[in-house]
Amino acid sequence: MNKIHKINKKPPPIATLNSKNLLSIEGMNKLEINSLLDRADYFADLDPLKIIKTLNGYVILNVFFENSTRTRVSFELAGRRLGAEVINISVDKSSIKKGESLLDTANTLSAMKPNLLIVRHPESGAPKLFSDYLNCSIVNAGDGRHEHPTQALLDALTIRRRLGRIEGLKIAICGDILNSRVARSNIHLLTTLGVEVRCIAPPTLMPKSLENLGVNCFNSLKDGINNVNAIMLLRLQNERMSGTESPSKREYYRFYGLDEEKLRMAHHDAVIMHPGPMNRGVEIASSLADNEDRSLIKTQVEIGVAIRMATIEAVYNAQK
Amino acid sequence: MHKNNNPILLKNIRVIDPSQNLDQEMNITIKNGIISYFENSEKNIPLNENDFRSINCKDKILSPGIFDLRVYLNETNNENVTILKNAAIKSGVLKMGILPFQKPLLDNPIMIEHLIEKTNFNNDKFFYPYGGATKELKGNEIAELGLMAEVGAIGFTDAPNCIQDSLVMRRVMSYAKMLEKPILQNPEDKSLAGLTASNSTTIQGEMNEGEVSTRLGLVGIPSCAEVIIVERDLRLAELTGVHYHVSNVSTKKTVEVIKRAKLNGIRITCDTSPPYFSLNELELSTYDTSFKLSPPLRNEEDRIAIQNAIFDDTIDIITSDHKPMSNDTKILPFTSASTGASGIETLLPLTLNLINKSDVSIMNILKKITLNPSKLLKVKIPKIKSNEKANFIIFDPNEQYLINKDFLQTSPTPFHGRPVQGKNYMSMMNGEIVFDNIDLL
Repeated sequence: MNKIHKINKKPPPIATLNSKNLLSIEGMNKLEINSLLDRADYFADLDPLKIIKTLNGYVILNVFFENSTRTRVSFELAGRRLGAEVINISVDKSSIKKGESLLDTANTLSAMKPNLLIVRHPESGAPKLFSDYLNCSIVNAGDGRHEHPTQALLDALTIRRRLGRIEGLKIAICGDILNSRVARSNIHLLTTLGVEVRCIAPPTLMPKSLENLGVNCFNSLKDGINNVNAIMLLRLQNERMSGTESPSKREYYRFYGLDEEKLRMAHHDAVIMHPGPMNRGVEIASSLADNEDRSLIKTQVEIGVAIRMATIEAVYNAQK
Repeated sequence: MHKNNNPILLKNIRVIDPSQNLDQEMNITIKNGIISYFENSEKNIPLNENDFRSINCKDKILSPGIFDLRVYLNETNNENVTILKNAAIKSGVLKMGILPFQKPLLDNPIMIEHLIEKTNFNNDKFFYPYGGATKELKGNEIAELGLMAEVGAIGFTDAPNCIQDSLVMRRVMSYAKMLEKPILQNPEDKSLAGLTASNSTTIQGEMNEGEVSTRLGLVGIPSCAEVIIVERDLRLAELTGVHYHVSNVSTKKTVEVIKRAKLNGIRITCDTSPPYFSLNELELSTYDTSFKLSPPLRNEEDRIAIQNAIFDDTIDIITSDHKPMSNDTKILPFTSASTGASGIETLLPLTLNLINKSDVSIMNILKKITLNPSKLLKVKIPKIKSNEKANFIIFDPNEQYLINKDFLQTSPTPFHGRPVQGKNYMSMMNGEIVFDNIDLL
């Protein structure tokens, strides 16, 4: 079992956010990010039965316009552990088909006076639109190709607990960066915390001017992961792998799929991460995914609940 | 009413009429809708000044009304026509080209005739319809260009669609050449301007491709999608000899290519609209859908190139590209929101803003919204001359204010809260006052 690095001995205070919303990592400063990580680090080790339920009566609506299991359950559990009431609403496509506009849906929900909406939406910027028109807090649980802030936070904490620090590390993000909100949030978060970030993708999946976000870009996986401390793999959707962005699954795996051999280029105890759900044999060799010395994929899910607890609590605090 | 029928005396007004190369301060009277003017001097003021509605117009400009080259009506119904007409005359636009993209489409002679009948105003033509270049503006089959020209189509275009197929474009151009009508293209290579997945679902590009689209996670449209079509079309224009007009030039590369084509003697003209010389892609940083336009707002380098191309006359015409959209279609996430914005009400001040940015003459700028469109479409605009019917606008080129969306009749505007200068105070059409705020001068 690998040692868990703890930065704080005493319980850290509730995280401080400069806004009552968490819409994106872009725009957040180091202090805000670290305060969330510290608080979540503390929650991660608490016995859930011993958590003081400080959010009694606080109403959270999980509003998901896109299918999700892990993120929705993670937010729900986080809210409940803090004592809040969490209601899940899957806004299926039928209500959109009935012609109700997004804002009408939002206003209807808002009339029920929730304290917090956790929003996932297939279009970039949708949570921002909610925040422009509604009074309650909004937490972005993933919007289109834009951002997925809590995923980046949980990734960072997972790394910090395993490697003992974040600043000064070399971290590679590999895969469909063009279409990935996880990649964008991670880029902003890691560069803010002083990480050397390397983005690796075939040219067809590399967004334009990405280097302006303060990262180094590579088309070669081997060059990109040279001596890195962590590799974050991204999911590649099936429909992008038959002659459009990538010629075929097997060609993608040949050049961008992480296996034992390519991993040798990385730092000797580099860790592997994936936001899930993963395509075994496409982004990652199955044996690597299951290698508990290397893969932090399960830990990421565990830490997710703690990060979302810290986030909900911080948003609640910022509303006061 | 009585007031309006009184003869008018405009004292010390600066008359600018690009069609006569006239720029002079003078005194003007309008009696029974007919202009008389005098070289400026006190003694030429009519002796019976009290019989006139006399206005001191020092530093104000009288010019022909604006000819707005490209305007979307959306639907030929009374309400839309009235709103557009009122917004136009208030803003100094006295003639406009109506694009065929509306309900129903103007892609056949009956609809062209219907529009002309429906919009005849003040015994003068106010709306000049284009015919669709292809049936249903789909870019596949040539529309009845000859029949549409016969009933009054002034040119042909599929705007806002771009004709993608080279053979169709060649055929449309050769027909338009025979009819001696211009062909207007909104250049955008569709296959480059979005993402196509293998299950053949296409995601349309939403904004200019670059750092900002990368940050926002919006689908980018590379700027070369514009110039690629222009370069192809130029070869076809050469082949067919048609008058080829590029609408809404928005990139530096397109400007360079057009400049070269003009030097090579190809029959080409082009236009742009205020967003492309006033704004850049950074405006989209907050997902504000009033900036969702086609072509998309480009980067600052492109914006400067467009502005300079106006000054060096590579860009011939400035148009509003007026495409009003209801707020319901704009209060949506960026991807779902409609594309387009109103423009007719802000065309004059935003165009006049250019005067401060270079030593360009006001005459040259006015040309681009009056004389040049009329030349392209071969529609005469009345001269400002003694014994001619009064057809002009009077504006204050120096009045500074902020554009306020609440005071506009059409929406949305990408220019809310922006400082501009220049305001229309009077519009006269065919000898009649159609808009009169001159007492507020």
